[in-house]
Amino acid sequence: MALIVIIDDDPDIIEVSTLVLKSKGYDIATANNPEDGFEIVNKLKPQLIILDVMMDEPDDGFFLAQKFRRNKIDIPILMYTSVSKAIGFEYGAGEMVPVDDFVEKPISPEQLVEKVENLLKKEKKRSK
Amino acid sequence: MNNNNPHIIIIDDEKGLREGTKRLLEEENYTVDTAENGLKGIELIKKNDYDLAIIDLRMPDIEGTDVLKELKLYRPNTVSFIATAYASFETAVESTRLGAYSYIPKPFSPDELLHQLKQGYKQRLLLLEAERLKIEREKNLLEIAHEKSRLKTIIEAISSGVLLINKEGEVVYYNNATLHKLNIDRLNIGERIRGKLPDKIAAILDSFLVSDEYHDKSVTAQIEIIPQNRLVIDATFSPVPHPDGSFAGVVIVLKNITGFKQVEHIKNEFISMVAHELKTPIAAVLGYIKIILDDTIPVTYEQQHDFLSRSHIRLKSLLDLINDLLDISRMELKTKQREIQKIDIKEILESSLNLLEIEISKKRLEITTDIDYDLPELKADYAEISRVLLNLLSNAIKYNIENGKIFIKIHQSPNHLIIKVEDTGIGIKTDDKEKIFSEFFRAKNKFTRSISGTGLGLTIVKRIVESYHGKIDVESEYEKGTAFTIHLPINK
Repeated sequence: MALIVIIDDDPDIIEVSTLVLKSKGYDIATANNPEDGFEIVNKLKPQLIILDVMMDEPDDGFFLAQKFRRNKIDIPILMYTSVSKAIGFEYGAGEMVPVDDFVEKPISPEQLVEKVENLLKKEKKRSK
Repeated sequence: MNNNNPHIIIIDDEKGLREGTKRLLEEENYTVDTAENGLKGIELIKKNDYDLAIIDLRMPDIEGTDVLKELKLYRPNTVSFIATAYASFETAVESTRLGAYSYIPKPFSPDELLHQLKQGYKQRLLLLEAERLKIEREKNLLEIAHEKSRLKTIIEAISSGVLLINKEGEVVYYNNATLHKLNIDRLNIGERIRGKLPDKIAAILDSFLVSDEYHDKSVTAQIEIIPQNRLVIDATFSPVPHPDGSFAGVVIVLKNITGFKQVEHIKNEFISMVAHELKTPIAAVLGYIKIILDDTIPVTYEQQHDFLSRSHIRLKSLLDLINDLLDISRMELKTKQREIQKIDIKEILESSLNLLEIEISKKRLEITTDIDYDLPELKADYAEISRVLLNLLSNAIKYNIENGKIFIKIHQSPNHLIIKVEDTGIGIKTDDKEKIFSEFFRAKNKFTRSISGTGLGLTIVKRIVESYHGKIDVESEYEKGTAFTIHLPINK
């Protein structure tokens, strides 16, 4: 089963996401800040990254996504967003933020699982 | 001058003729004055505006032509006749050249004279009417001139830019404010303005100028003249018609809305920050509830209990946040009733420390106080000053290390009560020092990750202190500790 790294500064969100994905049989590793997140991804070489936008420092999430890409980490990134829509800050995949899909908080377990499955399927085809 | 009867002067040195003519004319309802020589005639002319004048050409003192010159000078509308016995073509020409209406050869018959005077009087009435019209027209012209300068003054006085452009795209008129609004140094009447305009304005202007027809519709746009909201204007374009209704040009009214845009930006930023802060705990709690309710995800009883108690913590902090927000909003609206009374700062300090006792002992902090023996009385709202101390003390606890220390010093300067709260905690990085008083700012580093807070505590402290015309200072060294000092004016 695939390994997924979850990077979010909210421990409760990590807890919930971990439980949801573990129940579907995925292996999970987590980090609650960008530095640890980068390190753990480099070390564990997961198949997918779930990355929070981390509004406490508005560009934390974006910056980390870019850092992954610069370091040739090309695995899919699923980004958690919070108030992006409310403030008219609509991101599209690819432009500026090099991520593959978005999940708007609060997270619905079904939607999360569905998006994760889709990204992993695509990734499997791509890496063949 | 002419009260229905024509008023006439006869200037002649020949007494018989003078008197005879006078009698004749009075019978015909003329009002008649006479003068026996030129100088006396001139005197009367200066005094009265005669309708008609008969001037003898040859008089002992001065020539009739000299009298005529004076008459033209003072009374250009008096119709004059030159009378002479020495009729000649030259004198006739000369006298009409000098402005005489006609020429009467002497001797003359009464009929001849009356006919001539009748014609002359008609001329007199025409002249008066022309004069009246001329005066009226001049008055109107003066009014128009005044109207124009008045309009100009009004347009110059308004703070909005007013720019008039004809259909060839040339500047027809602009007021001074236009230059500031467009951030340009100068404009010349008649110059093509397109090149000096920002693209967006030029494009709208083009859309007006492409058509020769007049359409009664205005266009308004908000345009950023200097980037980053440093100069934003609201430009309203309206077509200007000729009097016949055809298209003459465009008037652009430019309003500076920079301040409004900046406030709007701050407001939007604040709203999105609040939304984020409110949504974060809700997202966490909803996450827990969803997995508890989801039958496909196995959750033990212990896990359930853990999720619920965590949800409880998140909701409590959400409530704190909402209460802080309400406090700020009340302060902003000034709806909060202040109860200004004598307060005892030592008492407030003690009760604040009591409230925080559990947290203090949990971290095993040592509290040292240094309070002046004879403190002045402070007049303030008890709840507000308690809030200030409580926020500062709870920060000194939250951001302190285990077994750390807190020093509290209260003393007075000639005009202020000075309260200092110092801790041996994690400190604040230099870059963060100026930001700690802004809404929702929370320093982010390896220490603060596990400390919860609304990001509004210091904002509230600063607002309260400043509402008493006091000030707050911060000294801090990262990883060493922080000291907040508050200066509250003593109301004597």
